[in-house]
Amino acid sequence: MLSTRPDPSPAVLEGIERLGVPADAVIAHGTTVATNALLEHRGARTALITTQGFRDALVIGRQTRPELYRLSFPPRWSPAPDELRFEVNERVAAEGATLTPLAIAEVERVLDRVAAAGAESLAVCLLFSFANPAHERLIGEMARARGLFVSLSSEILPEFREFERTSTTVLNAYVSPLMAEYVDRLEAGLGGRALWIMQSSGGILGAEAARKQAVRTLLSGPAGGALGALQVATRAGFPRVIGFDMGGTSTDATLVDASRGDGGITRTSEGSVEGWPARVPMIDIHTVGAGGGSIAWVDAGGALRVGPQSAGSNPGPACYGRGGEGFTVTDANLLLGRLHGDYFLGGRMRLDRDAAERAGAALARRLGMAVEEAAEGVIRVADARMEQALRVISVARGADPREFALLPFGGAGPIHACSLAEALRIPRVLIPRHPGVLSALGLALADFTADTSRTVMVRPHEQSPEGAWRACRAAFAGLEAAGLEALASEGFETEMPGEFASPAGVLERALDVRYQGQSFELTVPLEAGNVGAFERALAEFHRRHETRYGYARPDAPVEIVNVRLTARGRRAKPEFAAAPPASSTDPAAAQAGETRMRSAGRWREAPVYLRDRLESGHELIGPALVAQEDATTVLLPFWRARVDPWLNLVAEAANG
Amino acid sequence: MADYDPVLLEIMNSLLSAVAEEMGAALGRTAYSPNIKERRDYSCAVFDAGGAMVAQAAHIPVHLGAMPMSVAAAIKRFPQLADGDIVALNDPYAGGSHLPDITMVSPVFGAAEPGHLLGYVASRAHHADVGGIAPGSMPLATELYQEGLIVPPVLLQRGGELDEGVLDLITRNSRTPGERLGDLSAQLSAQRLGARRLQELAERHGRGVLAEYMGRLQDYAERAALALLAEMPRGRFEFADTVDDDGFGTREIAIRVAVEPRDAELLVDFTGSARQVRGGLNAVRSVTLSAVYYVVRCLIDDPAAPANAGIFRRVRVVTEPGSVVDARFPAAVAAGNVETSQRIVDAVLGAFSRALPGKAPAASQGTMNNVTIGGTDPRGGGAFAYYETIGGGMGASATADGLSGVHVHMTNTLNTPAEALEYAYPLRVTEYALRRGSGGDGAQRGGDGLIREIELLADATVTILSERREGAPYGLAGGADGARGANRLLRLSDEDVELPGKVTFDARRGERVRIETPGGGGYGTQ
Repeated sequence: MLSTRPDPSPAVLEGIERLGVPADAVIAHGTTVATNALLEHRGARTALITTQGFRDALVIGRQTRPELYRLSFPPRWSPAPDELRFEVNERVAAEGATLTPLAIAEVERVLDRVAAAGAESLAVCLLFSFANPAHERLIGEMARARGLFVSLSSEILPEFREFERTSTTVLNAYVSPLMAEYVDRLEAGLGGRALWIMQSSGGILGAEAARKQAVRTLLSGPAGGALGALQVATRAGFPRVIGFDMGGTSTDATLVDASRGDGGITRTSEGSVEGWPARVPMIDIHTVGAGGGSIAWVDAGGALRVGPQSAGSNPGPACYGRGGEGFTVTDANLLLGRLHGDYFLGGRMRLDRDAAERAGAALARRLGMAVEEAAEGVIRVADARMEQALRVISVARGADPREFALLPFGGAGPIHACSLAEALRIPRVLIPRHPGVLSALGLALADFTADTSRTVMVRPHEQSPEGAWRACRAAFAGLEAAGLEALASEGFETEMPGEFASPAGVLERALDVRYQGQSFELTVPLEAGNVGAFERALAEFHRRHETRYGYARPDAPVEIVNVRLTARGRRAKPEFAAAPPASSTDPAAAQAGETRMRSAGRWREAPVYLRDRLESGHELIGPALVAQEDATTVLLPFWRARVDPWLNLVAEAANG
Repeated sequence: MADYDPVLLEIMNSLLSAVAEEMGAALGRTAYSPNIKERRDYSCAVFDAGGAMVAQAAHIPVHLGAMPMSVAAAIKRFPQLADGDIVALNDPYAGGSHLPDITMVSPVFGAAEPGHLLGYVASRAHHADVGGIAPGSMPLATELYQEGLIVPPVLLQRGGELDEGVLDLITRNSRTPGERLGDLSAQLSAQRLGARRLQELAERHGRGVLAEYMGRLQDYAERAALALLAEMPRGRFEFADTVDDDGFGTREIAIRVAVEPRDAELLVDFTGSARQVRGGLNAVRSVTLSAVYYVVRCLIDDPAAPANAGIFRRVRVVTEPGSVVDARFPAAVAAGNVETSQRIVDAVLGAFSRALPGKAPAASQGTMNNVTIGGTDPRGGGAFAYYETIGGGMGASATADGLSGVHVHMTNTLNTPAEALEYAYPLRVTEYALRRGSGGDGAQRGGDGLIREIELLADATVTILSERREGAPYGLAGGADGARGANRLLRLSDEDVELPGKVTFDARRGERVRIETPGGGGYGTQ
């Protein structure tokens, strides 16, 4: 089914109709409506109100230019243009005291100008509003009374650093009205079925919250895959995996560690879209511009490069036979026998080997190599780009890849998994049963979450631990009330705060901590309980600092920058039955043919297996190719694999 | 046909750059001073066993061209560097650029073959106070001794053992010793991380391959520089620009340059530039080299070409010892690195605009607008030293307007968020805005400068080192000049005092310092 951009709702509703989804089902939906609105600049006409003297803070940003060695740049687009940015005379101090009170008459005047400028949506971001939101709330009430769609920074992101907070709030104002309309259309067609929307954090958002806080969905594209990876990996007995999703133009890498006891998925709040920060929780995913459609080229210095230009899906790689002339990673895989022309998309699409040869020959001439050597080069460069992404989310975060399994997904991921594992010395590769649809599985498994936070700036060494704990607890109290309300509105049973045995609705707390004087915080979980739990969380901070940065200063004063609360509605996880074991380990019955596959400069004969025919307990020896409707798997020479009871392929380098 | 593996070339380029990037990420995240952690005023790079730079992270251009001199100075002083040694230095006359920039250099030996030198990793960070006559160590001074503690190349770590005495000596000379200790610890951990990463690279690809491709990456950059040379007409293209003054009465300090493309090299000749001056506007030669390399790298069309020592091979820079672009000890140099370096870029780009019309843009703001405010914090009683540089207008090019409110050319540091600044210091930002209309008119407009106004919540000493307060950033091809910058003091009596471009003064609580930064020059007639 082709998606019907810019409004995908008819396609979604038609799909639900066709599948015959029951009337009492909950629809969990991952959508890029907000993302695309932003990328294509189709959001609401957005006004911004700031503290006097700061209406340009949004466009000044951090006063850096995007590239270092470049003398000319295209103009920068802003989601709240010059004529829509306004100021009010007010000021709040860092600790929350009002220095200059806000006059109602002035707010009226400014809102008149906002209206006259034709704004459809309003963002309000005043300095230190997280410490004292009274002024923002006053503007918010008055603007909502006039029927404006309003985003207050103290509601969207009550954390310090004005540019990042302003940007996040403005992005929300820019995309939310569109998301609200989209959700309205979907709900109207769902006949009373509940609608949930995937957020960047990997949690599900209720329809009402999605309308108001669409910024939380901006980076949600890869979230489903990460959750799916967690589920498949834990069930297969691999609590620690590095997942990578290789798509047409880019590859997303993420790290899952269920042995860590924090849910297994790493989250960050440092994402941005098109250079505009969106500081809402997102799964820590690193993306590089190398995928199956990435085009290979030779640069002025004579080096072979792959991407970021991509052939996309239209015209696509040369071998799609739709007129693409660029030699892509997919073409290279085809020429090397790592992809088989007869089995692509379950045999429904023939790949044009001659077209790939022609595109490859042009590149090979420029490199002064044979075509097959050039193709191998393209794979090595693409692998190196992906390897960098894998290193960023593992090694650069203090995790040793050798302690992980590699979990490839997306159509092309399993083609590159063995070679990437060799490069990073990852001993095992776990290829899920359905690599191409892992994201949808994640969507079906996601919990409902409502994330809230507040900047507190508490310094435990300046008071007793009890005093610091009380200050944090007071901040948590406000967040808990909102969290419980969010859970209740989606029908999750909750107990009183602090009682953590509740069945479905739970409150999870965390602290953002740093050494006093540092500028970046680490988030540590805070267990339920009293000051003892609080002190354990601070001890955990030192430990994590040591892990991530190589040193800790247990005697140095720390400060608690933000308190965070996640209200989580746990959803029942579907049970998957183990497949019956095969009568023998020999997969001969699953073999469909033979092919030639090239690796490390040598051609070798390799059997082609059909994934659908592989049974639990079958053992494969590389080189081998495994074909299936949604993906192809390459088992390199010196690798062996066995099929586990959930029909995943577990591959290992034969020499360990 | 290439005699090397173009695939491995790209892989090594990525992996070596990643070593420098990772060092930078670790340094920024664990540092203590807002100048390093919020503003990211630091750079990291990887060098081959001969001390030639092979890869760098995209940090601060003025650091990167100059760091090879730091590595050379470290090797010269300690020819027998061993595994686990870390050399620290800030001496502008022995590998440094100005005193706040402390550079660390580590030799890296193979983990499997301990005697075998793989290369060096180096980091340079701007430490907000290293002593001297004014808080922030960016004073108006007349000799180096007044600018802070001079650290010649010293072994800060020997065989893996940190020399606490050297560390104490440096921190004891700073007004903010705790912050220094935190920042130096962060820099040390970045060095160790970089060394480990380079070792892993050698283990994986073999040290022979690593060494070979470190050389090949320089050959690659060299080819890119030659391509630029081939594009240029033959001749001698001259340009001159001026530094406003040195803060001690010397005005209109000339930077003269002639760019002469030849078949095998580009000659950049500064003969005829002014003699070194009394105030700290003097650039040491490494700063001048940085500025020249920066311009050459910008003009190379291939966006992916590595910025490494290969470019340097084809560029010959001539400077007269004792001139403002090649200062001799003990000339003061604090602003040479941050201000004169910008004017050197303006002059060199001006000369290129004559050789390659349409390729070089109009002048950008041409200053970093250095503001240092120091004193005693009434909230805790401790000393504080706030240092910030402020963006401005970028010059227009033949094809695009200049960006507004950004750092240009030799720096790209971030600002300190108003909310971070107010937590950290007894200061309040009262305005932070675009300075509308300050960009020069033209077919393409110059970018606008910025306005930053700060209220003092305690009595403090304020030092401003800024440029383009008298001479304006030039327009090109008929475009108008950008507006000059201005510095003001708004007194409690509402009196508005215009301050000179370079000034140190004591200000009272409640007074406001207002900096209006220059706009960029316009390009072409409307």
